[in-house]
Order: sequence, then C-alpha cells, then structure tokens
Amino acid sequence: MSERPTFSPFWHRVRAMTPRLRPHVQITRQHYRGQRWHVLQDPATNQFFRLGPVAYEFVQMLDGHRSVEDVWQISLTRHGDDAPTQGEVIQLVSQLYNSNLLAVDATPDIEQLLGRGRDRLRKTVQQQAIGLMYFKIKLLNPDRILSWLEPILRPVLNRWGLIAWAGLLIFAIVSILPHWQELMSGVESTIAPSNWGWIFAVFVVTKLIHETGHGIICKRFGGQVPEFGFMMLVLMPAPFVDASASWAFANKWRRVAVAAGGMIFELFVASVAAFVWIATRSGGSPLIHQLAYNAMFTASISTVLFNANPLMRFDGYYMLSDILEIPNLMQRSTSMLKYLAERILFRVRDIFPPTSARDEQVILTVYGVAALIYRVFLFFSITLYVMGQMFGLGLILAVWTAAMWFILPLAGFVHYLASSPKIADSRPRVVFTTLLLAAVVLFAVGAVPLPDRRYGDGVVESPGRTGVFAGVDGFIEKAHVRPGDHVRAGDPVVTMTSRELLAQRESLEAMVREAESQESAYLTQNQAMAQIAREKAATLRRQLEFVDEQMRMLTVRAPRDGVIVGRDPHTGLGVFIKEGTPLCELVDLAAVRVAAELPQTEGSWLFELPREQFNVELRTLSRIDRVVTGKVDRIIDAGQRELPHAALGVQGGGVIETNPEDRSGRQTKRPRFRVDIAAADGTADSIGAPGERVRIRFTLPDKPLLSQWVDRLQKIIQGRVNI
Amino acid sequence: MTSLSRYHTLYESLRSRQTRPPVYHGLDKLVGRALMRLRTRGITRSWLRSQAQEIDALAPELRSISQPALRSRVDEIRAAFARADQKPEQVRAGLAIVREIARRETGEEAYLVQLMGALALYHGRIIEMATGEGKTLTGSIAAALIAWKRRRLHVLTVNDYLASRDADSRAAIYRFCGLSVGAIVQETDERERPAIYQRSIVYGTPKQITADWLRDQIRLGRVNTAWNGRQQITMNLDGRAGPNPGPMIPGLFAALVDEADAVLIDEGVVPLIIARSRRQDDMAEVYLQAARIASKLDEGPDYAIDHLRRRAELKRRGLVRAEQAWSELAEPIWRAARRAEELVRQALIARHCYVRGKQYEIVEGKVVIVDEYTGRFLPDRSWEHGLHQAVEAKEGLEVTADRETLARMSFQKFFRTYPFLAGMTGTAADATAEMEAVYQRPVVVIPTHRPVIRESRPQRVFRTAEAKWLAIVDAVVEANTRGQPVLVGTRSIAASELMSRLLTARGIDHKVLNANFDKEEATLISQAGRGANEKAGIRAAVTVATNMAGRGTDIKPDTPALAAGGLLVILTEMHGAKRIDRQFMGRAGRQGDPGASQVFVSLQDELLLRHAPYAGRLLAIRRGAAELRSTRFTRGLFRWAQRNSEARDRRSREGVLRQDDWMEKYLPGA
Repeated sequence: MSERPTFSPFWHRVRAMTPRLRPHVQITRQHYRGQRWHVLQDPATNQFFRLGPVAYEFVQMLDGHRSVEDVWQISLTRHGDDAPTQGEVIQLVSQLYNSNLLAVDATPDIEQLLGRGRDRLRKTVQQQAIGLMYFKIKLLNPDRILSWLEPILRPVLNRWGLIAWAGLLIFAIVSILPHWQELMSGVESTIAPSNWGWIFAVFVVTKLIHETGHGIICKRFGGQVPEFGFMMLVLMPAPFVDASASWAFANKWRRVAVAAGGMIFELFVASVAAFVWIATRSGGSPLIHQLAYNAMFTASISTVLFNANPLMRFDGYYMLSDILEIPNLMQRSTSMLKYLAERILFRVRDIFPPTSARDEQVILTVYGVAALIYRVFLFFSITLYVMGQMFGLGLILAVWTAAMWFILPLAGFVHYLASSPKIADSRPRVVFTTLLLAAVVLFAVGAVPLPDRRYGDGVVESPGRTGVFAGVDGFIEKAHVRPGDHVRAGDPVVTMTSRELLAQRESLEAMVREAESQESAYLTQNQAMAQIAREKAATLRRQLEFVDEQMRMLTVRAPRDGVIVGRDPHTGLGVFIKEGTPLCELVDLAAVRVAAELPQTEGSWLFELPREQFNVELRTLSRIDRVVTGKVDRIIDAGQRELPHAALGVQGGGVIETNPEDRSGRQTKRPRFRVDIAAADGTADSIGAPGERVRIRFTLPDKPLLSQWVDRLQKIIQGRVNI
Repeated sequence: MTSLSRYHTLYESLRSRQTRPPVYHGLDKLVGRALMRLRTRGITRSWLRSQAQEIDALAPELRSISQPALRSRVDEIRAAFARADQKPEQVRAGLAIVREIARRETGEEAYLVQLMGALALYHGRIIEMATGEGKTLTGSIAAALIAWKRRRLHVLTVNDYLASRDADSRAAIYRFCGLSVGAIVQETDERERPAIYQRSIVYGTPKQITADWLRDQIRLGRVNTAWNGRQQITMNLDGRAGPNPGPMIPGLFAALVDEADAVLIDEGVVPLIIARSRRQDDMAEVYLQAARIASKLDEGPDYAIDHLRRRAELKRRGLVRAEQAWSELAEPIWRAARRAEELVRQALIARHCYVRGKQYEIVEGKVVIVDEYTGRFLPDRSWEHGLHQAVEAKEGLEVTADRETLARMSFQKFFRTYPFLAGMTGTAADATAEMEAVYQRPVVVIPTHRPVIRESRPQRVFRTAEAKWLAIVDAVVEANTRGQPVLVGTRSIAASELMSRLLTARGIDHKVLNANFDKEEATLISQAGRGANEKAGIRAAVTVATNMAGRGTDIKPDTPALAAGGLLVILTEMHGAKRIDRQFMGRAGRQGDPGASQVFVSLQDELLLRHAPYAGRLLAIRRGAAELRSTRFTRGLFRWAQRNSEARDRRSREGVLRQDDWMEKYLPGA
C-alpha cells in the first residue's frame, strides 16, 4: 500500500522525455506460470530485460514521439491501480537506458557513460574479490568455433539424438553393473596422489566438452555465445561459456536444453569412457584404462553432484528455474524467506511477498530453506575437506568464506536492524524479538545440557574359548544343542553311535562269559586252570569296562558351563568323525567382551571421565534392535595401528579407514585406542557371537551443545591436522 | 551583453552543469575521507597562526605607503593570483594588502585570528569562528583573494538583508581590489540579474542563487554543448537578448558560504523546487472530499499516525469506512482504489502532522510554509503532490491548482557542483564528519580573539511543559529586574507566540522575532543587548526569537547590560542538533564579554517524545516535584535523544545524497 506511492518527487527528470526502444532490440515472448512476459535483448551487449504485461505495454507505447508523461497518463486510464507508479516508471526507464535498450532524445553524456562503465568495472572487481572461490577469467569469443562445430553435429541435435543418447547411457550403466566390485575398488587408486595430475587433465577436458555442449545447443536454437573463459572453482579451473542468450528463447524446453547441454555431453563422454574401461579391463594399456576410469569418474560424479544440483547456481538450478517457470529462483526465494521472517517474527506491516501466487510461494519457501541448509553444509564440508588437505589454505578459505557468507550477512542484518526504514515503526520490538531469539538459541545451545553421544565400532571377542571334541570315533546320531545354547557342565552336546564299539562290546561280553564258564568248569578239576581263566575273565572285564567307558563317551558332554558357538553340531548328523574332531566350541560366558576401536581424538573423555559416569550401549549388527548395556573393562592407550579384526576396517566392510597398501586390511591410517568392553551383567550371551561387529554408543554426561561442538571441532582439527 | 559574452556564459554554464562530483558510500566513504585528509594536510592551526603572524609583520610597511602605491601593489599581486599557483609569500602579501585596504576603507583592522580564518578560507576550508568574532571582515578579505584566483565568487549569506548590506558595505574594498561586486536579492529584477552575475563577486542567499541556477537549467533543457545550444538561445544581432536569453549564471566557480552548517547541512537536503501550476484538472473538489472523509475517521480504530515520519496508516476498519464514503462519490479518481486511499491518507497526514503555526501559517487566506529550521515564512514554496492542497482543504481555504515540478535541486547537490567551496560558521566542528564526507571540505576551528567567559548555567529539567514555561518566565522576570537583557530562543513560531503571551501577562515589555522581516530583524536583534536605562525609564531588553532569527547580526550589550552580567540566552527547548543549540547560546558572551546561557527542558518536549519516547516515559513514571534534579542521567537522556535526532537527520541526508547520485548516474540527460 504505502510502498507504492503514485507520485515521485523526481518525476520531472523523465516527464518530458520521449524515449523509444532501440531498433535493434529483440523481443521474445515467454510464459511464466500462466503469465505473459517479454524479454528484451540487446544482441550487441547480451543484456536482458524481462518485462511484465503492463510494463511491456508501457514500453511499447514509448515511440519516440510520446512523452513519458503522456504514456503514463494513458497507462493510468487503461490499468488504474495496476499501472506503474511514477517511481516505477523512473526505475524502468533508467534500467532500460542503462541496459542500452532505450534510446533517449538527448545527446549522450560522455561523462555519465564513462562513469557508468567505471562503476560496472568496479562492481565486477568487487564481486570477484568476494567470491574468492569463484574467480572468473575471460579468454575469448568462441562463437566462430561453435558456428563451425554446430552444423556438423546438427543431424543428431534433435529428439532422435536425445533418445539415442539415453539408450547409450542406459546401455553403459547396464554393462558396467557386473563390474561394480571392481569399479568400487578402483576408487582408492583414483584418489591416490599419483593420479591427481591425470584427474586434473581429464577434469579440464571433460569440462571443456561440457561447456561445448552448452555452447552448441545454444547455437542450435539460434543463440549467440560471446564469451569463453575459466572460472576458478574452489581453486580448480573450470571452463565456462556465456550461454545467456538462451534466456531469450521463447520455448522453455529449449532453455532447459541449453542448461542441460553440458551434462548431456558430459554423460556421453562418461558412457564412452565406460566402454573403454570395460574393454581395457584385461589386457590393454593400463594408462588408458586408468584414464577411462578417470573420465568416467569425473564426467559422471561431478556432473551429478555439482551440475545437476539445483541448490547451487549451476546448470541444475537454471533447469529447475525454467521448468518451474520461476525466473530468479534463488534471489526470489531469498526475498521470500526474508519476507516470511519480517512478517512472522517482526510483524512488519506493509510488506509484500515476491509473488502473490500461493503455489509459487510454497516453491520459493521450500527452495529457499533447502538452499540455505545446503549452503551451510557445503561450507562446512568444503572447508573441512580443504583444511584436511592443506590446513593453512583451508583456514584462509574458511575465514574468507565465513566472512562473505556469514559475517557480511550478519553485519547487513545488524545494519538492517539499526536503520531499515521498513521496521522503523517497530524497531524496539524487532530488536527485542531478535535479541530474544538470539538469547533463546544461545541458551539452548550454550546452557541446556543435552545428551552427548559418541560412537565407536568393535567386534565381539572371546578369550576363554573351549573346543568340544569327539572323544571317540563314531557317527553322529543326535545333536542336542545349537550355537547360542547355554549348556552346563555335563550336558550332552552330541550323541554318537559306533557299531564297532557295540560289536567289540558284544564280543568282549561273550568272551567274558566264556572265561567265566571256563573258570567254573575248571574250579573243581584244575585249580591252576581256573586261576588262569579267572584272570582272563578279569582282563576281559577290564577291557569291557574300557569299551563301556568309550561307549559313554559317545555322548559328548559339555566340559563346562558356557555357550555353544562355532559350528552347529547338527550339520554333522550321520557323519563319521574321528576321535579328537572338534564338534563345536564352548565359550565362557563371563569372558566374552567387545574389542572397541576409537579414534585417538576421543581420548580426552575416555581417560578423564570416571568409568561409571558414562554409559556404554552395544548393538550387534545382526540384531540391531537389541541393546546391551556394557561397561568399559580396560583401555589400551598405546597408539594402536592394528585392528583386532579385519571386519572393522574399510576393506573388511567396516568404517575404519585402513591403509590401502596393507593386504591384511588391519592396518589403520591413524593411531587408535582399543577399549575392551564387557557386558554389564556378565551374561555374555546377550552381546553376540564372537567375531560379530558391534556398534557402540557411549553416552557421556549431558552437556550443552555448544561445548559439544567446540569439543568436536577441536577433535576435527586435531584429527585432520597432525599438530 | 554581447553575443560573444552570452555564448561564453552558455559555455561556462554547461561546463559547470556537467561536473559530477563523486559520491562515496560505505567503505569508499572512509577511504575518500582519508584521501581528502591526506591531500589537504599541512593547513593546520599552528601553520595558520605562523602565517598570520608573518602577514601581521607586513602591516607597518603597508600602512605607511600612499594610496596610489597601494593601488599599484594591488595590480602587481593580482597578476600573481591570476596564475595557476601562488607561492606562500605571494598569498601572504595578498592577504596583507587586502587587510590594509579594508583598514583604510572601513576602518576595521583584522585581528590575527581573522587573518587565520581568511587564509583558511582561501585554502578552501570550512572554518568555525565563534559568533561576534568578525566573520564578515574575515569573509570579505578572503573573498577578494578568492575572486582574484577563481575569477568569479558567490558569497552566500543568510538573508537578503545581509546580502545587500554586505555587498554595499564591502564594495569599497572590492573596488580597490579591482573587483566588481553585486547582490542578488528577492527584489532584484530578472532582467538585471545576468549583468550582476557577470560581476566578480556576487552576494546572495543560497535560495536565490540556486533558484537562478535551476531556472538556467530549465532554459538550457537538453542542450549539452555550447555549440549545439547556440541556436536555441536566440540572440539578436545587436546583442540584446531574445525570448530565450540563455543562462544567467556564467558558470559556478567558487562559493563562500556563511553559516555553512545551516546551509550545507541543516537545509542541505530541503529541495528547492521550480514548479508551475498544472493545467486545471478539477482536483480541488477531490481534495475537499478527501478532507471530509478523513474528518469522519477516528484515530485509533480507523487509522494510526506516525508523527515522526509523517505517515498515516489506514487500518482495516478505516479502509472499509473510507471505501464506503468514496464509493458514493462521482469523481473518476475515486474509482482507482490505491490513489483514492493515498488521497485519504494524505488528508489524514495534513490533518495530524501539519500544524498551523509550526509547519505553516495562513497569511491572507493562503497557506504559507514555515521553515521548520529557521521559523521563517517561505512564501513561494508549496508542498508537492497534493499535500499543499490537502492542507488547504483541511483549513477550508480555496484549493489551488496542483503544481508540477520542473526542476529541483538540493543545496547539498548544488554546492557540491562548485569546484571551490569555503565556508564560515559558528559551529562546524560537530559536523566535521559530514562536511568532509559529503563536500570533501576539511574543517578548521579558529580560536577566539579573547577567551570566552560566558557562564553556562546548569540545565533545568521539568516534568511538564507547563512547569517549564512558567519557570522560564520567572527566570526572564528575574533577569529583567536585575537589568540584564534576555534573549529567549524557541523552536517554533507557535512557541515564540506562547512565550510572548506569557511575558505580556507578567507585564514584561518584549520583542518577538519570527517572521521574515530581514531588516527590522537585524535592528531588533542588534538592540537585544540593550540594558536598563534608569534615566530614560527603559528596562532591559527582552527578545523572543526563533533560532535562526537575526543570524549574522551581532548582539552588542551596552554598558549597563554588561554591568548586569551581559546577555542571558535562554533556550526553551533543545533543538534537533547540538550545533543549533551551541549557535544560539553563542550569541551571549561575544568577544570576551560577560554573558550567560541556560537550557530549559521538559519531559514533554518534542525532542524527547520523538527520539527517546520510552526513556522519557520511564522517567515520568516516578512521581515527584515539578522540577527534576538535573543529573548526569537526565542530561545524558536529552543528549541521547538529540543524538538520535541528529543521526536520523544525517541518515535522511545520506539517503537524499544517494538518490541524487543515482539520478545523476542512471537517468539520461541532466
């Protein structure tokens, strides 16, 4: 309402002017969310201007004879409240004039023109300084090269070409899938420093192809591509072309196509590289193999991660913006968020959202929030990554980016609080709300104790393991237990049968009976013979006893209390086994423990906190829903570099970084602590089977988030940088 | 004027018009200031003093030479000043010669401090010189030197009276220096003006000269070189001007501004507008209707008024009621909802934010704007975009036709166009930052000739405005009975009238100064220092004046007044800027005379209500006597409110500057 006063005190500056559009200005009509817009383009300078219907009508009426005042009056009678206000007309005229789209009936003022040029140059320099991460160097005008290249490729630059491209891409993915394992194992060698030079070269070439893609498709639809150069993207040179001519395309799908052109070309390169890689897998030059891998890697991963990502101002952003038919998506979603904040938090009246359409508002809000989160995430990950690689540079980058992305906006916000005319009516309240919010956040972060949890990985270990062996040869007839069963000493584990023993026993019994009958026969006749027979019987009985003993041993019993682990005895049913064959293992319940691995940076609390002050909870990966409480038994504080089990390392499927050159997979990159954890109640059965991987959660005493973060940041710095 | 000189005038005028001094924002502002400091370093107070002493040493020799000898000296030194650079000894000699001329022609010999001031002015400084230290003499010595060097100089004075008075009284000096002089005042005929502007030194008020410059701009239209403009300016063969005589002002070369802080800063952004009546569009009825609608609405439920920013906000209920009201009206403008709403809001603003006696007065059935800074009438100005009409409608006067702006310019922009700018003021030090940032002019504080012995009495704080006024009257009566002359300063005409009524009620004979009577004003103010004269049965003078009244004229207390303690200045309110307070208080105790000043404030003062409303209310909660003890806290509170007000004004000036700059840069044509 009050933001659109009809009159402007500076109206006299334009009132009598009789401007007109320059004759060479090209006008295209575009539709955005059901609204008709017109894009004015100056082909000479590649400057664009987008006009709404009423503004366009206004500009149309400027024919070099009518004065601005006359046109405004006409517009007022035609459109009433929708007509531009005087201030808006001044804005419009000046913008068009400064984009060289409007010819004015005054001799050009050289001083003003030069001054404007100087200003523009200064602004560019400033922008470059701010975006240290995105430094731009212009090189040449690629239009002639593209004009030569485009007709050659024209036969495939159509619907059929796109279908064929999609087919090729799918075919490449399908053919690469069987080699997935190999593909993944190649990652390590790809990011090894020896490969960096090649990666760099391949990166630049694929990106060149990428930009050519934009350029060619832009040319295909009749746009000009006047600029080519390099942009320093996070210290990595990335080529760019100026395909902004596509903004004037009337058909939105053509605009999308130009934005997507880079990715299309790059994914094509990736597909071809995939075939080369497969072909050179066995035999062929290892260099070509590696290069193909690199090309596949950069042309697909970087494209998907960066270019297709609509949250950064790369191709994906422009595609999304065009598909949604919301121009200036980023900028408008920012103003939408600002509007929401002002409206809801500060209760500012008389402000308007950047759009009145409901669905558009929702899109802008969602996008704005997503982009904001992504920005923060990106900042931290890039900074931490670069800091890990090169600490000093990373620190400078972090400070600079923090200044540009966080401190500048913060300073801007403070300035806004102090002097924005929008909140002039309610400044004390707005300041109060802000301070309150800040206080709440600070309190929540800095004073409210919240659970502090740390995580580690471990593996179940059992020092007290006993094998259960067959005492005699025999066939397993029955198994009484399965792994995990509790047994007490003497409980049967396996029952075996042995025909041999049975037969032996029968013959022995027979022999005993024979000897006894001989004895009784001789007893009256011959004392000596009877004596011999008695002794023989006794010997035989002893032998029988031994066989009985052996027979008893057919039932294998648990030597002591414990849990059955290892092989399942049931697997051997009916199988003949020899004496001494291990049947399964018996684990001492009390002795089972978890060998946990923690990075050295966790040492501070591990050594300082008394053990009863933190909880340890264990989850085995096999039964992730079951939580076992544990307690720390022992901490081995020597800088361990060897894992207790290969299962914990990256190579064994775990998460702990291991030395890729070590074949055993147990050598870690950084020294670690080993912590032995026992189940708190001593019932080890609850932990899990030995050799099983365990996720361990340490719950430290509650602590405010802020000190947790500081703690963690310190750890990152300690961990990344070997101070 | 010959065709050639007219062509030359056109050429110079266009050249000045095309200068675009840079405007710095943000960090650039700091850098710009630092660079300016670096460029202009070296002219320090001690340097000025040593130079002045050397100049003073030349005096005995000059004093002794004959008139013709002095004349030849003038010719000699003028030649030196016509060259691009002058040696320090040449500047010193020039100053000494002009000083001697001034002594011979007017009998006033410049003091050392005045020489310092003149030298600083010559070097393009804004100087701060206490009231009564002889700024007129300082200025005229500097003016001669500047005119020698820069060919043409505009000397800007506070009012027309001073312009013509100074032009006359200094003419002899300038003539001796070989310089022609003239004055442009309100009454100066349009046809005579071009000839006056051709003179080397032109006295005038900022308003007159800026307005003439603007008229020149309108006449020049879109012409931007003298060669392509030559046909548009009709010149008769005999050299007489045709229907379009071309510009009056032959370019802007140098300006010497008196009361620089008032002109460059306080009034710096008030736009001077040249307007013409728009063709009749039968809007008169519409404004009356809007006023009627506005009078039916209730403040609170229907609308809210922001007095500080002069804005009205229609609430939902008010909007509905207004819509009902205007839907019955036939005029087409009521069909356009936004403009209709604007009209009603404007009527509300006219109703609540514009108060008769403060922002305007009614003179002969017409609304006359009152300058809020100076309390003067501005008879030929009108508010823009229907506000003037809304006020007329509210007062039930005849609604004049809306006027349409042809050209507008602020002093801020105009004075930045001069390649050379110097200024004098009583209080510049407070505005140093702005002078340096906006005008790229450093400020030099010139010491006083004699030490100031003015007594600064403690501030008195009252709970209510009523208590304050009564206490002021008591203080006036008390001083009056002791025979001490009193000058009471008010912020608005309404306040000065109230004061006058209160004094009349107590039987105190007094004079009120608040209107536009330049000459009488000067006489009245010069008599403000009159003490009691028992024999003639005259009591000491009591003068009530708005803050700008009689600026530029000294108040010289007579002997009985000095005996009674000199002039007592009472400020009835603190102004929006400390400078204005200081300026006003500085009228007492000039040139080492005795004198006193005292400030009276109340918790209901506009300054506090507008700029520290919460703190003021907080203080008012505690019950107690009508007069509060003046503590560090109360002083701090009022100073804080003043600072807020200063900051607000400064920001608005910055905004105007930025807007001007934007227009210059991004709009086609001049």
